[in-house]
Amino acid sequence: MTVIARGWNRLTLPGKIIFLAVPLLIALTVGLVATIVLLGPWLLDVLANNLPIVRFVIAATVVLLMTVPTAFLIIYMEMKVIALMNLRIGPDRVGPFGSLLSVVHGLKVLMKEDFTPTGADPLVFTWAPVVVYLASVMSLLVIPFAPGLFGQDFNLGLLYFFAVGGLAVVGLLMAGWSSFNKYSLLGGLRSAAQIISYEIPLTLSVVGLILLAGTMSLNQIVLNQAGWFTDWYVFQQPLGALIFFIAATAEANRTPFDLTEADSEIVAGFATEYSGMRFGFFFFAEYVNVFIISALLVTLFFGGWNAPFDWPWPLELHIDPASLGVGLLLVVAFVPLALTLAFAAPFWLASRRIKGWQALVLGFVLANLFIGALLFAWAYLGLDWVAGIVWFLLKTYVFVFTFVWMRGTLPRVRIDQLMGFAWKWLLPASLLNLFVTAAAIIVVRS
Amino acid sequence: MTATTDHPHPHRHYEETSADDPRVVLDREIGVFEPVPPYPPRTEREAEFYTLGDGEMLLNMGPQHPSTHGVLRVVLKLDGEKVVDLDPVLGYLHRGVEKLCENADYHQAICYLDPLEYVSSLFCEWPGVMAFEKLLDVDVPRRAEYIRVLSGELNRIASHALFLGWMALDLGGLTPILWSFIERDEIVDMLSALTGQRMLFNYFRIGGVNGDLNHEFMSRLGDWMSRATEQIEAGNTLLNENEIFVRRMRGLGTIDSTTALRMVMTGPNLRATGVPFDVRRAHPYSVYPELDFDIPTRDEGDCLARYLLRMDEIRQSLRIIDQCLHQMPDGPIMAKLPRLLRPRPGRAYAGIEGPRGQYAAYVVSDGTDQPFRMRIHDPSFIHLQAVGVMMPGHLIADTMAVMASLDPIMGGVDK
Amino acid sequence: MDRAFKARLEARFGDRLTSAVHQRHDETEMRIGAGDVVAVLTALHDEPEFRFEFLADLAGVDTGTVMQVVYHLWSDTTTDWLRVIADGLPRDDPRVPSATFLWKGAEWMEREAYDMFGITFEGNRDLRRIYMPPDYTSFPLRKDFYLADDAARSPGAGVRPMERTQAPSNAPATALVRRGGT
Repeated sequence: MTVIARGWNRLTLPGKIIFLAVPLLIALTVGLVATIVLLGPWLLDVLANNLPIVRFVIAATVVLLMTVPTAFLIIYMEMKVIALMNLRIGPDRVGPFGSLLSVVHGLKVLMKEDFTPTGADPLVFTWAPVVVYLASVMSLLVIPFAPGLFGQDFNLGLLYFFAVGGLAVVGLLMAGWSSFNKYSLLGGLRSAAQIISYEIPLTLSVVGLILLAGTMSLNQIVLNQAGWFTDWYVFQQPLGALIFFIAATAEANRTPFDLTEADSEIVAGFATEYSGMRFGFFFFAEYVNVFIISALLVTLFFGGWNAPFDWPWPLELHIDPASLGVGLLLVVAFVPLALTLAFAAPFWLASRRIKGWQALVLGFVLANLFIGALLFAWAYLGLDWVAGIVWFLLKTYVFVFTFVWMRGTLPRVRIDQLMGFAWKWLLPASLLNLFVTAAAIIVVRS
Repeated sequence: MTATTDHPHPHRHYEETSADDPRVVLDREIGVFEPVPPYPPRTEREAEFYTLGDGEMLLNMGPQHPSTHGVLRVVLKLDGEKVVDLDPVLGYLHRGVEKLCENADYHQAICYLDPLEYVSSLFCEWPGVMAFEKLLDVDVPRRAEYIRVLSGELNRIASHALFLGWMALDLGGLTPILWSFIERDEIVDMLSALTGQRMLFNYFRIGGVNGDLNHEFMSRLGDWMSRATEQIEAGNTLLNENEIFVRRMRGLGTIDSTTALRMVMTGPNLRATGVPFDVRRAHPYSVYPELDFDIPTRDEGDCLARYLLRMDEIRQSLRIIDQCLHQMPDGPIMAKLPRLLRPRPGRAYAGIEGPRGQYAAYVVSDGTDQPFRMRIHDPSFIHLQAVGVMMPGHLIADTMAVMASLDPIMGGVDK
Repeated sequence: MDRAFKARLEARFGDRLTSAVHQRHDETEMRIGAGDVVAVLTALHDEPEFRFEFLADLAGVDTGTVMQVVYHLWSDTTTDWLRVIADGLPRDDPRVPSATFLWKGAEWMEREAYDMFGITFEGNRDLRRIYMPPDYTSFPLRKDFYLADDAARSPGAGVRPMERTQAPSNAPATALVRRGGT
């Protein structure tokens, strides 16, 4: 044993790492290859027979992973847009115009001390952020981003959405109760009351839409809005859209209804005792919620992934690169070079200050952008899902910007004013909307 | 405790605290969350407050809070979300200014007066300086008085601008505070050109001011005055016409004039209840009798009235500044005084109208070169008592709004 | 300086004044004893020829020999500030009736005077310390206040060993007492 110990001590740290890691890697590789060779065909068979499940698993994973950059983008957008509204500059150090700030925030939140306060219920305390985040992510599954791009197309999609969205209440109550802190308790109870009150106008305002569309499947609702923008449901259900917008703002705890996290009154509400990644979960969940309500608003009332104009998708562009044969090699070899030189030349010729290599770099970047734009245009025209995603995200982010704009501008309402508004104004308004829609349908269809 | 000189090893030694010391016990049982004092109630009010009724709970808005105006601790007695009673606990910013002034020269004492209401420092220096001048029977030259009024009114606008921003911030609006800080920044830059400091100006001297108007100050002032009105109105319309803001402030924290007078409130808080009491007109000082301005008054006595009244006061201050600039006399800016000041034994009191109310100083002199007693009367201190009168029946969210509308500055409250 | 006002005060309160009414610049000063405070303040507040309904300030003063409570009042019947000095309070147990029956806002000013001087205001419902911690034992603005003495007994000295300061030296029992201008 001492022989081994002595030899071990002679190694430097890199040596030790390599000494341990290399055999491990070799063993893993061999194991993987063996698994693939022996079990591969059987595995493929199983997958092929359960294609819908596989598709769902992949879709769910993609959705879950997609929430992270979305939240990052919305966090950055909020900081920058509100700063510009406040006549400040906002983030501008980390990355161009501060765009990498969210990444830094994410890292910071991961590196903070993660503690459970004394007196808190550890199980409930730990699982509360998970439940809140879960509610957000699960609701994303039914939203159709493009033709064919959705997690799952339930024919009760809308009902599922509202049901799952209500899980967030449980999470907030768990957070508020388990923190062993009066501020958290107040925040949790306030938020539970708020979300429950506003769920009723929220669901009632879309019942009129369901009557018009005849289905609760979100994919079908979007398909019903194909064509020109006048086919969008917002023109047929304006009151419903307005009520939905207001109620959704309250559901997502956004200003002017953000009293659950009103930091000028109850520190951070239900999230007072949370730090580190647990707080990060709440934070993320809030911004994913903003995305979700914008996405739902767009899906239900503003055409989903449809363009505002009628477009015969997909266009059959008969471009077949393979037909060039060997010429393809020449194209791939020479066209980028030619484009680089073409873009670099004007800069180098026109200005004396730009040196040759700088012009080439600039030309390279521009050539890449140009080729990218061409490819994007080809995809846009040729593949309907690319166009669909583009329009969907564009419309969604317009509404995200509106929510951020409201946060920068409006003060907060008080809890009794909020509840009064929901029960005395929004509920009767949504019922009115429902009755008028139903009556109109009966009259028009008879 | 033995004297250190007798100790065989003259180094620091620590006494161990016994395990029964209540502070140790408290420290061990971290689960003490109730903000109840660790002794039986000593006064009637304490007993009344810390006895909880059915369903009531105590919530501590501690000295560290994102929106108390400085370090203030407020213990709220809540019934759900409704505030039943509240007990402000002060002293977190107590610096012993009155005692410090007793050990300082008359000239040095002025420096201690600045950080009292740090947002409106010139108004903190003014009554002290006026009281010293009364003790020394000094006449202040007219130019110095006009400069005092001019810089004071600029400071009033800066202070009210801060109030606006803070009020909106406590209600949840993130934008108005930054816009009103643009106002404040410009004024503060102006005043730094005049006095050399951006915030704790240390500008008034016994017998005058320290430094005449200079070109930098006048050019900045002229430039700002030409666009002041539109800028301020633009900032106002953001809030005045915002439905949420108005609905939250209307009817909140109402106080009627009788109660306000009994609570000895002064300044905009009193004028918002309908009592047109302004020290500049009630007991004129400096050159205010020569200046033409109105005393805005409102009747409702709620937060919205106090907010709108301060807007009106900004407009009046602009009028006063305009008149000061036109009527500025020539002459010395400081009276001739000996270096070592020894006033006759006596007492003097001076009260002025600060942005928050009547700011006053009572100085007792014993014939030496240090004040014998320097008493500072601060309006924010008085107004915080009124929160306990206004709050019961409102919600927690309104606590901050009501306190913000009274515009307390903790430096003055705690001295 | 309102001479007529001085005459009115001496006519009304002549028997209660402990010295002549003194006027300087725009202030009129009268001195009374602690027992007369309620009567005098009520008279000044209620009577139509005085109407001193505005309490500008309430302060405690330690002259070195006696304690005083100084009230500053304002009325629109005269151009002067009125200063009422309740004089002659003994230094070891100064007691004065509270003014809170007239002005509720005097409550905290009296708390401050108690905290800083030890003056007990009888009738104040809330006479606790306001600036210093509740278990503080000294009265800071008194002329015989000794700082090192205070630090030794201060509850702010901390619980854990590293928060304690070194043991203080013996403090003399009587500290500097300055004879003040009265």
